[in-house]
Amino acid sequence: MRNILLTCIAVFSAVAALGQTITGTVSDTSGTPLPGVTVVVDGTNRGTTTDFDGNFSIAADPGEVLLFSYLGMSTKAVTVGSGTNLQVVLQEDSTQLDEVVVTALGITRDKRSLGYATQEVAGENLNLANEQNVLGSLAGRVAGVQVTGASGASMGGTQKIKIRGVNSIGGGDQPLLVVDGTPISNANFSGSAGSDYGNLGQDVNPADIESVNVLKGPAASALYGIRGQFGVIMITTKKGRKGPRAIDIQFSSSVSMESTYNFIPLQNMYGGGTSQSFSQLPNGDPYVAMGVDESWGPRMDGTPVRQVFSFYPQDPEYGQLTPFVPHPTNVEDYYNTGVTYNNSLTIMGGNENTSIRLSVNDTRIEGVVPNTFLDRNNVGLSASLDLSPKVSVSSNVNYARNNGQRPGQGSEWGAGYMVQWFQRNVDMDRLRNYKYDDGTFLHWNLRNPSSVTGEISNFRPLYWNNPYFEVYENTSTDLRDRFFGDVGVTYKVLPGLEVSGFVRTDMYIQNLESRTAFGGKSTPAYSIGKYQNKEFNYEFLAQYKKTWGEFSLDASLGGNIYDRNYSYVSQSTNGGLSSPGFYNIDASIDRPTTSSYLLEKQIRSLYSLASLGFMDTYFIDASIRNDNSSALPKENSSYWYPSVSGSMVFSQPLDWEPLSFGKIRASYARAGSDLSPYQTNTVFGVGTVYDGINTLYVPDALNNPNIKPSFSNSFEAGLELSFFRNRIGFDFTYYNQKNKNQIISLDVSGASGFGSSIINAGLIENSGWELSVNANPVKSNIFQWDFTFNINKNNSEVVELAPGIDVYTYGSTTYSSVTSYLNSYVGKPFGSLVGQAFMRDEATGMKLLGDDNMPLYTDATHDFGSVLPDFNGGIQNNFKIGPVGIAAMIDFQSGGQFFSRSKMLSVRTGQDAITVATNDNGMNVRDPVADGGGVKVTGISQSTGEEVTAYVDARSYYNNVLGRRIYEEWLYDASYVKLREVRVQYDFQDRLMDRLPFKTMSLAVFARNPMMIWQKAPTGIDPSEISTGSQSISWFESGQLPSVRSLGVNLNITF
Amino acid sequence: MKKLYTITIALLFLGAGCSDFGEDINVNPNLPNQASGTQLIAQAQLSLAGLSSSTQGEFLAQYLAETQYVGLSLYPQQSTSFYGWYQGPLMDLEAVLTAEELNGNDGPVANQIAVAKILKAYYYWNITDRWGDVPYSGALQGEGNFIPAYDTQQAIYQDLFLQLKAAVDMMESGSISNDIIYGGNMDKWRKLANSIRMLMALRLSQVDPTTAETEFNLAMADGVMESNADNLVFQHLAEEDNQNYWYGQVVNQNREWWALTEGLVAEMLPVDDPRLPVYGNPSRDTDQYVGLLFGEEDNIGTDAFSLLGDAIYAQDAAVQLVTYAQILFAMAEAATAEKGWIPGDPATYYDMAIEQSIIQWTGSSDGVNEFLLQPGIAFDPSRALEQIATQRWVHLFMHGYEAWSEWRRTGYPDNMVLPKGVEVPTRLSYPDNEVFLNAANYEAAVQRQFGGEDSVYGEIWWDQ
Repeated sequence: MRNILLTCIAVFSAVAALGQTITGTVSDTSGTPLPGVTVVVDGTNRGTTTDFDGNFSIAADPGEVLLFSYLGMSTKAVTVGSGTNLQVVLQEDSTQLDEVVVTALGITRDKRSLGYATQEVAGENLNLANEQNVLGSLAGRVAGVQVTGASGASMGGTQKIKIRGVNSIGGGDQPLLVVDGTPISNANFSGSAGSDYGNLGQDVNPADIESVNVLKGPAASALYGIRGQFGVIMITTKKGRKGPRAIDIQFSSSVSMESTYNFIPLQNMYGGGTSQSFSQLPNGDPYVAMGVDESWGPRMDGTPVRQVFSFYPQDPEYGQLTPFVPHPTNVEDYYNTGVTYNNSLTIMGGNENTSIRLSVNDTRIEGVVPNTFLDRNNVGLSASLDLSPKVSVSSNVNYARNNGQRPGQGSEWGAGYMVQWFQRNVDMDRLRNYKYDDGTFLHWNLRNPSSVTGEISNFRPLYWNNPYFEVYENTSTDLRDRFFGDVGVTYKVLPGLEVSGFVRTDMYIQNLESRTAFGGKSTPAYSIGKYQNKEFNYEFLAQYKKTWGEFSLDASLGGNIYDRNYSYVSQSTNGGLSSPGFYNIDASIDRPTTSSYLLEKQIRSLYSLASLGFMDTYFIDASIRNDNSSALPKENSSYWYPSVSGSMVFSQPLDWEPLSFGKIRASYARAGSDLSPYQTNTVFGVGTVYDGINTLYVPDALNNPNIKPSFSNSFEAGLELSFFRNRIGFDFTYYNQKNKNQIISLDVSGASGFGSSIINAGLIENSGWELSVNANPVKSNIFQWDFTFNINKNNSEVVELAPGIDVYTYGSTTYSSVTSYLNSYVGKPFGSLVGQAFMRDEATGMKLLGDDNMPLYTDATHDFGSVLPDFNGGIQNNFKIGPVGIAAMIDFQSGGQFFSRSKMLSVRTGQDAITVATNDNGMNVRDPVADGGGVKVTGISQSTGEEVTAYVDARSYYNNVLGRRIYEEWLYDASYVKLREVRVQYDFQDRLMDRLPFKTMSLAVFARNPMMIWQKAPTGIDPSEISTGSQSISWFESGQLPSVRSLGVNLNITF
Repeated sequence: MKKLYTITIALLFLGAGCSDFGEDINVNPNLPNQASGTQLIAQAQLSLAGLSSSTQGEFLAQYLAETQYVGLSLYPQQSTSFYGWYQGPLMDLEAVLTAEELNGNDGPVANQIAVAKILKAYYYWNITDRWGDVPYSGALQGEGNFIPAYDTQQAIYQDLFLQLKAAVDMMESGSISNDIIYGGNMDKWRKLANSIRMLMALRLSQVDPTTAETEFNLAMADGVMESNADNLVFQHLAEEDNQNYWYGQVVNQNREWWALTEGLVAEMLPVDDPRLPVYGNPSRDTDQYVGLLFGEEDNIGTDAFSLLGDAIYAQDAAVQLVTYAQILFAMAEAATAEKGWIPGDPATYYDMAIEQSIIQWTGSSDGVNEFLLQPGIAFDPSRALEQIATQRWVHLFMHGYEAWSEWRRTGYPDNMVLPKGVEVPTRLSYPDNEVFLNAANYEAAVQRQFGGEDSVYGEIWWDQ
């Protein structure tokens, strides 16, 4: 018997060693079975979920730990013993919403104790569709955040972000980006047109992001001082884990295809020219007016004509007549299908006192614009080591490299001109071979042939290059190497007291180079620039935590020295290049233009923060900070500012079953701000050198030796509610922020001798609300659905500017001598679009017409209202059906407006479809007015006061009046609903995985920008992508790149 | 706990040292914080060509017509900014005039100030003639006055006469350095100041003949230009940084957008004007001089008409601003029987003016005698003002704003075309930005002069 028993034990042990099956039931405290509870064996990839009756079954060895987790419940760990049947009871987790969040200065806090709004987004949600720019992936995901992007064709183009509206009169209110406690530059080297190099924040590798926490108001970011006054985007990267020795290797690979869509509908009836009849060569052959970059020409009815290529002696069709026909997709045909390859490898590991994570990423993008690319590499290393139980050291090192050759965008740059100035008869397939064998370039816009010889003698293009010449010959390249990261040491001095010191840095070298080749419309040129930025932050922080009875204290005292050094050298040739193909400053024919620049700035800061809690229910926080800025005049360089906030978790005393969590909070904060260096002393500008005479001038911007720091005061209050075991949660915030005495560059009357002056002025007030809803409506082991909904509304008002000045001009744009402005008026919302409007009859509101029946227009001083949206937000849905996960992200915006120059010019040049509309006489508007053609115009004659209905010549109307002078016609509402991202993922299951040498494997299909669900603006202009380079407020569109849709697959493997 | 104290003390120490960044940290290392007077004057001189080189001026005087993208020559109602003149040359000159000290190594300080005064007066004269009342006494004061009031044109003229006189009176012997225009020759600056004064005086011939006659004679007595070598000329250089505006347009940007007007060619071709081959090139189609009807929109192009002459758009072309021939035309006018301001035979001045104009434009006096005998050209006292003014218009080619001012004053040439029935403007409309940035003063000025409407058809003081 004893032997039998021993044998049994031995057999049993052997079975156990092979993995015994543990079964059991999971229920809540009331005994109700819980379906869909996740059960995993800790440290392995073995896992299952409970069935509808709460039952589970899993293989586990004795000594292994089973983890039971369920939303709204505390995770429970059960060590497998001898028993094989477990009854597990999960406790409702009242503290689960006390997620730990990373707040200012990297201080981790229980979210329940915070008296201000923060919103966190998990890294996996940001990385659904391989968006490479972390700011872009925040669109719609955080209440109170507005993101304006650039077309995917720009490859890493600018993504702009605004938190709680416009808070700075000058519009420069980008939030601070902080990665693992290190503030990093989000600068931008792009202008409003040309290559869009994008915001530098994109150097953060999206695959490294564990979470992003958005600190919205000054209360949240008060401890960042000046640079945090417009909010802080805190990025926490993934780290290795200390604990039992373990190694994880992850490999992720994705490929996606990018294609263009959303083009302005163009007409296909009339081709290039200004008149409907052809000019003729001496031999009588008709020819296309290739000197004209408009499509007001003859009807494209197949008439045999001499087209531009037939004038090139090298061309096989030289001298031949070919049919004059439309090429309806000539603009679309220009773009390629782009490809993006993304591969990344991550190694994570750790043991009792060490953790390490190493990631390597390689992204290669071939753009939709021919001959454009972006290669990006990221290497990230984070490590931490406990030297002793009291002392640990850690470091994060990130390297990013961007090497791009990007398309031009914006007015008259790159290929964007093709909807603005082009001929509908140009065959893009013909232009693609832009170079003849003898090296001559084929262009489409040349001087008309001589009426004597019938030949073209000058093949230099007039106003536009062949778009292929533009991208293959006039290249613009950029290269950036960047390091950022930190080293730090933490010392636990006493129980509860920890001091730490960090050295943080962000440094980059940006190289920009551009070429203008021989053989195009412009003088050959070459320019090169090297821009170097070094930022150091030396940081000290002491943190003290203590609990006595019902009280808890969390206090910090810190200091920071910020030191920035920036320099550049840039050079460009002047007057042409000495020989074709030699691109160097040495090739400059005239004295090259050169500039060099040095900048240094320091801010020294001290700060303190204390948080007091009572019964884990009542919390009060207070902070104070002192900054000393080297950019301010010495007597005004030091300034203090406080913040205070409080919160109460009322669900605790209330103890009402359906309410899982409830909290009210309120905060007040003040934040100080300085300015860029070198704006407090008088300087002179260096002018052109004339025959050895060096000139100097008085700059247009007037510096101010008496400038003071400016302060913003903000108040916010919020309510957080969560019901039914946290199945649905709401977070509502109201805020009000007053930015007073801002340091702005105020435009002043040029008659003062200056164009602008640095002054302390103004009061701009923003108020609004934000709501985010998190819900988990369905939760079973076969189907789960959760969603997040964000929405916010912001109202801004410019309350005052400067004495005697009640208009602030933020920007202006001029085309064909007609200017429009973005102004702010006292007493109105920020950012009015101002320009030439229809002149209207006061009584009836009808348009006033001149004696020629053309509409009359006002000066460029008509206020069309604010460009800022009424509200915006987003919805993310995640579904999980067995092994299949589906995620979709939609963002939306209501209101706001912009001016579209692309649309205006497409009409002016006779390309837009409306220029061939049929009028109510049944005639084409281009037909002679005498024959019943013309555009119908209704209005009141200014001279007679009578109502007039008349038909006017289409070309005069669109080309010289509407499409040139009346900006009112080209303003569009910026409302839209856009499907941004979709991802469908399949997680391979146990059975297959058992046969593969991987821990986990998943395959996903994703789409980025798959469609614009709805937009109020006409087709062809994307209101979510009206970003114009680094301009911080998007208010006009010109030469926008087409929308780009990306479809791809992604494979993830863990070893 | 002791450690905590140590840390706190260390931090406070750190804090105490916080505001000490070193003296120079916020001093811009990239730009000079001092400028010599003559370097500022030189910069102000670089803007002189801009007073003339502008399509707007050529359209207002109908010298040039548009061959493509017809628009600006249809005289649209649009504002024109004067800010560039204030923020640019005028502010540079003001910095010289208000400098606490100027360096005598660049030439006598009085001469630096005199040149700055003359240039300032010249710029202001151009500005007020275009817009009417403009900020003057309260302008250029920076933070001292961001909303300068508009002075009346009459007051500006009065002060400019005084300033020019003062500039001449303060001159000492000795030349100044860095002078792009006259190489420091103060005698030429003196003649320029008096010549400007004389031309300004003539401008008042309708509105205030008494002052006009007085100032004219005073200026003449002080010594005006005596040859083309005294002309105020901006010489462009054959390099991109200092090149002719028209070269940038025609050559760099490929814009053959301008042809000689039909009116100009009609004035010159029948009388075989030796200047015509300089002003324009023959048509590429016909090799003849063919003008383009001003404001024509349909039958346009670059081959059938005479485009700008090679010499006009040459990279290193000279821009003629105040010329000896203008002085001679002014004297001819002053000597006419109608005016009788000065003694002498107007015919003599008239012939000399044409001769000097031809020499200025062609570099030689070839053809002058034949030209002066042409019917309609030969001086006819009964048509004196018409002939003088029309020939002055031919002479002022490419200095459209000045020719347009003389047209407004005299009504000649009388061949101006009304494109699509639109009248030739009589002033420039104030900048839009003034409505935003200087509203009260702007409105007061518009109300005072034009009854509230800031149009291009308002009549400025001397054009009443």
